[in-house]
Amino acid sequence: MSTAMNFGTKSFQPRPPDKGSFPLDHFGECTRFKEKFLKCLRENNFENGLCRYESKEYLECRMERQLMAQEPLEKLGFGDLADGKADRR
Amino acid sequence: MGGLWRPAWRGFAFCGWRRSPAGRPTSFAGVEQCLKPGRSGTEGAERGLRQLGTWRRPSLTRDLVVQPPRRPKSSNPYTRAQEEEWRRRNKTVLTYVAATAVGMLGASYAAVPLYRLYCQTTGLGGSVTAGHGSDQIENMVPVKDRIIKVTFNADVHASLQWNFRPQQTEIYVVPGETALAFYKAKNPTDKPVIGISTYNVVPFEAGQYFNKIQCFCFEEQRLNPQEEVDMPVFFYIDPEFAEDPRMVNVDLITLSYTFFEAKEGHTLPLPGYNGSQQLSPASSL
Repeated sequence: MSTAMNFGTKSFQPRPPDKGSFPLDHFGECTRFKEKFLKCLRENNFENGLCRYESKEYLECRMERQLMAQEPLEKLGFGDLADGKADRR
Repeated sequence: MGGLWRPAWRGFAFCGWRRSPAGRPTSFAGVEQCLKPGRSGTEGAERGLRQLGTWRRPSLTRDLVVQPPRRPKSSNPYTRAQEEEWRRRNKTVLTYVAATAVGMLGASYAAVPLYRLYCQTTGLGGSVTAGHGSDQIENMVPVKDRIIKVTFNADVHASLQWNFRPQQTEIYVVPGETALAFYKAKNPTDKPVIGISTYNVVPFEAGQYFNKIQCFCFEEQRLNPQEEVDMPVFFYIDPEFAEDPRMVNVDLITLSYTFFEAKEGHTLPLPGYNGSQQLSPASSL
């Protein structure tokens, strides 16, 4: 939130997330996938485009374990990855 | 009232006439009447003069017949009917204008609840992007030539004793591409603690293009004693970001999360996540 309460300046309006909140992974079921993803990021200089496969796997892990609502991958922006790991830029 | 004045006016008129050297046909009978002393008409005229004031005098030569204020000016029945017609029409127009003015005032007062109702039904609620759903995510095309660096910041309110930090310092994304980022939170105390978070995006104008698909904010998150969890944020930057001329120089976006402690009975006025409800600690994950 903006700390300077100036009259007339627009303050930041936080918006709720589209699909709600992630349930917490209390038992660490998907921690392995998370580690893989972070390792990929560190190796690729934190470029998200190169690690999309790992992020897809993490989300799939969550969906399998009821930690996330089941959604087709296209709706999560992984349409290009849904046909296998063909697109690796 | 006109009738009462008539004799006084007539007497006054004739007396005034006598004094003014106007080249008008005189009525000798009237002059003689004026000259007679003790005539009641004179006293009435003087009374009238005193009450009306001397400025009436110039018009007396014309207005021999006393006019009450509301009688039509002409004696011709046709023009009088026309004047009546005009007067009636004027009154109608005035009524309509007054009704419109009152109606406008009422509409301006009614606009506030009506607009609120409209926003609730159409769900626009002040947000500009109407077509903002999973269809957009499905169809959006990454703008590959515009690389944006997203840095992460984690804050904790003073009364909350969690260790909260991001698990990557930055990430390079392009608009239209969904990205995942992680935060980590640990509860070092021996009691379960419930926290609730909100976020902020800097720069402010870029914040409207920053869309979160799923995150951990605005809902209570409970951490058991000595528990450590990963908190992911799944987001994307709207492809229209690349087309906004104000965003040409924006290459760095900072996402900042702040955790607060959720106490019992303490409601936080957070944005309409559960349908504009106030969140209370009673709601569960």
